[in-house]
Amino acid sequence: MLKGIVLKIPSDDTVVESVQTFVEKIGIASGVSEEDVTGLSISVMEVVKNAIEHGNGGDPRKLVTIYIDVYSGRIQFIVDDCGSWQPEVDLGHEPGEGDALISSRGRGVLIARNLARWLDYGLNPEGKTRATLIWPLS
Amino acid sequence: MLKIKEESKDGVKVIRLSGKVISGPDLMDLKSVFQTAVSNATGNVLLDLGHVAWMDSSGLGVLVSGHTSLAREGGRMAILNATKKIQELFIITKLITIFETFTDESEALSSLKE
Repeated sequence: MLKGIVLKIPSDDTVVESVQTFVEKIGIASGVSEEDVTGLSISVMEVVKNAIEHGNGGDPRKLVTIYIDVYSGRIQFIVDDCGSWQPEVDLGHEPGEGDALISSRGRGVLIARNLARWLDYGLNPEGKTRATLIWPLS
Repeated sequence: MLKIKEESKDGVKVIRLSGKVISGPDLMDLKSVFQTAVSNATGNVLLDLGHVAWMDSSGLGVLVSGHTSLAREGGRMAILNATKKIQELFIITKLITIFETFTDESEALSSLKE
C-alpha cells in the first residue's frame, strides 16, 4: 500500500497537468480501472484548482499541499491551501439560477463530489482550508 | 486528447468532439472554434458529444461561454448525443436547464433550422 506521499506545488496552473498525470499513476498502481482513472484525476484536480484559485488567489509563492494515502478499499487525498475559504459560503451550495448558473463558480466542487462520492471541506490544524477527498476502490 | 471536427449541414455548423474535454491546451482549440463561429456570425451550432468520454469544469465553462456568446449574437447551440456520464454532469450542475439536448441528429438539425 502507498502511504505518506506528500506533494507541495506552487499555485500555478502550469503544474496542474503534471499533478494530474501523477494522480492517474497513483490510481492505476492502486487498482483503479483505466476507465475510471480519468474520473479520479478530474475530481482531485477540481479540488486542487479550487485550492489554487480560491485558497491561494493564484499566487505562485503560496503552496498547495497534497497528502496521498492508499488504504484497503480507498485512496485518500487531503488538499491544504493557505486560505480560509469555505465552498458553501464563497461559492454557494447550489449551482444557482439565471446569471449565477451561467457563472463558473462552484461547478468544480459539484463535479468532484459527484465523481468521488466523498468530498469534505474543513480546516487543518493551522486553521487553513483543508479538503478531504476519498475515492473508493472496488 | 480532444479531437475536433467541423462541418456544415443544412446551414448549421456541426462541431463533433471526441476524447476528453478537460483543462489543457486542447481546450483552447475548442474555445477558438466557438470564437470563430461567433465572429463569423455562423448562426446556430450543433455540438456532437457522442464520443466525449470525460469533461471537467473548465470544459463545461467553454460550453457555457460558447452558448452565451452565440445567444448574444442571436444564435443557438444544441447538444447531440451526450453520453450518460456527460448528461449526469449537466444535471448536477443544472446546465441541463439551459442546454438544448438531442439524441437524433436530423431532429436537432430541424430544430436549429427553425
